[in-house]
Amino acid sequence: MLADDQNQAIDAEPEDSGLTLEQLTSICCVEREWVIHHIEEGLLSPPAQNPDEWRFSSSMLSRVRRIVVLERNFEAAPELAALVADLQEELETLRRRLRCAGLE
Amino acid sequence: MQYKDYYQILGVNRDAAVADIKKAYRKLARKYHPDVSKEADAESRMKDVNEAYAVLSDTEKRAAYDQLGHNYHSGQEFHPPPGWDAGFEFSGADGADFGDFFSQLFGRMGAGRRHGGFETAAGRGEDHHAKVLLDLADAFHGATRQITLRAPRIDHSGHVVLDTRTLNVKIPKGVYEGQIIRLAGQGAPGQGGGKAGDLLLEVHFEPHPRWRIDGSNLYLTLAVSPWEAALGAVTPLNLFETTINVRIPEGSQSGQQLRVRGKGIPSTPPGDLLLTIKVVLPPANTPKARALYETMARELAFDPRSEQRS
Repeated sequence: MLADDQNQAIDAEPEDSGLTLEQLTSICCVEREWVIHHIEEGLLSPPAQNPDEWRFSSSMLSRVRRIVVLERNFEAAPELAALVADLQEELETLRRRLRCAGLE
Repeated sequence: MQYKDYYQILGVNRDAAVADIKKAYRKLARKYHPDVSKEADAESRMKDVNEAYAVLSDTEKRAAYDQLGHNYHSGQEFHPPPGWDAGFEFSGADGADFGDFFSQLFGRMGAGRRHGGFETAAGRGEDHHAKVLLDLADAFHGATRQITLRAPRIDHSGHVVLDTRTLNVKIPKGVYEGQIIRLAGQGAPGQGGGKAGDLLLEVHFEPHPRWRIDGSNLYLTLAVSPWEAALGAVTPLNLFETTINVRIPEGSQSGQQLRVRGKGIPSTPPGDLLLTIKVVLPPANTPKARALYETMARELAFDPRSEQRS
């Protein structure tokens, strides 16, 4: 399946249901248990009641990546890493609002 | 491929202790973090710093990197000597966001996976993830885009080689900022007859000169004349080869936001247009224009600062 195919266009389908736990862990290089633990501790918001139904959005993907880097490179406690991620997200929201208001 | 001097990037000696490498990394991470840094090239510097730290903070990778020798200079043309990494096992790194130099040396190895391509069991290939930058017009019309991806692969002799592949991807109409789109079977090949993984693309748009984008909503500052704002008007608005007529309600003020439902990016459900009214005054640069302003000043009992006084 890795062969180049210059001529035929491949259809991209919207993945609106979000990423599964397996997809998320594979992209972020974390273990399942890491995600489950962070959800149980309230550091990631649970996407559904039942873990089988968990689906993660692209903003959740960015959050997980940020927390992973903070924990790994700064040996940050998970709670502190989540707090930094909260602040980064808040900064992003405010910057987006500035941009949408034509102020940046 | 150009050689990267990871020690130089972190500003440490080649015999630096782990603690010093950590210290140097944390100092530079604060200096170049794109969220806070005022340095012009903060983002690319941060990438280099992260890459250098990923290698030098990992005992196995650092030893392998050191074995390349001390005689290379930063930016020098470089090819890893054959067998340079024999006997090393790498694990737990993610080089997806790093440059060619890192990928050639260490490949992209998932957490807990071991060098040499031994998967634990036959099974489905990994899903890969990449960001794709589109034009806003693509969201309205759909598009076929060529996307170039580079993925490290382990060859017969156990070395990491970098595959470049170009995919023609049909982007459906209605994709929005931050959406994930899936290319079935375009991820890593499956092991032992397993199915290939998927390629998951995260959609982002090039900055647009007129429209600002938030998810599937589009924002625009709409310039209107004082009489359009005061009396109401219908004005045509060009929206990616179609024209829609927008009604400006009577008595609109500068800064007010109009929402045109369902006319943003045609996703399911479609986004909205959010138009911020900006009243633009005609200049009083002719006797006639001056006379009109003077008439208004005389005839309209209008005090724009009445609220401030009360």
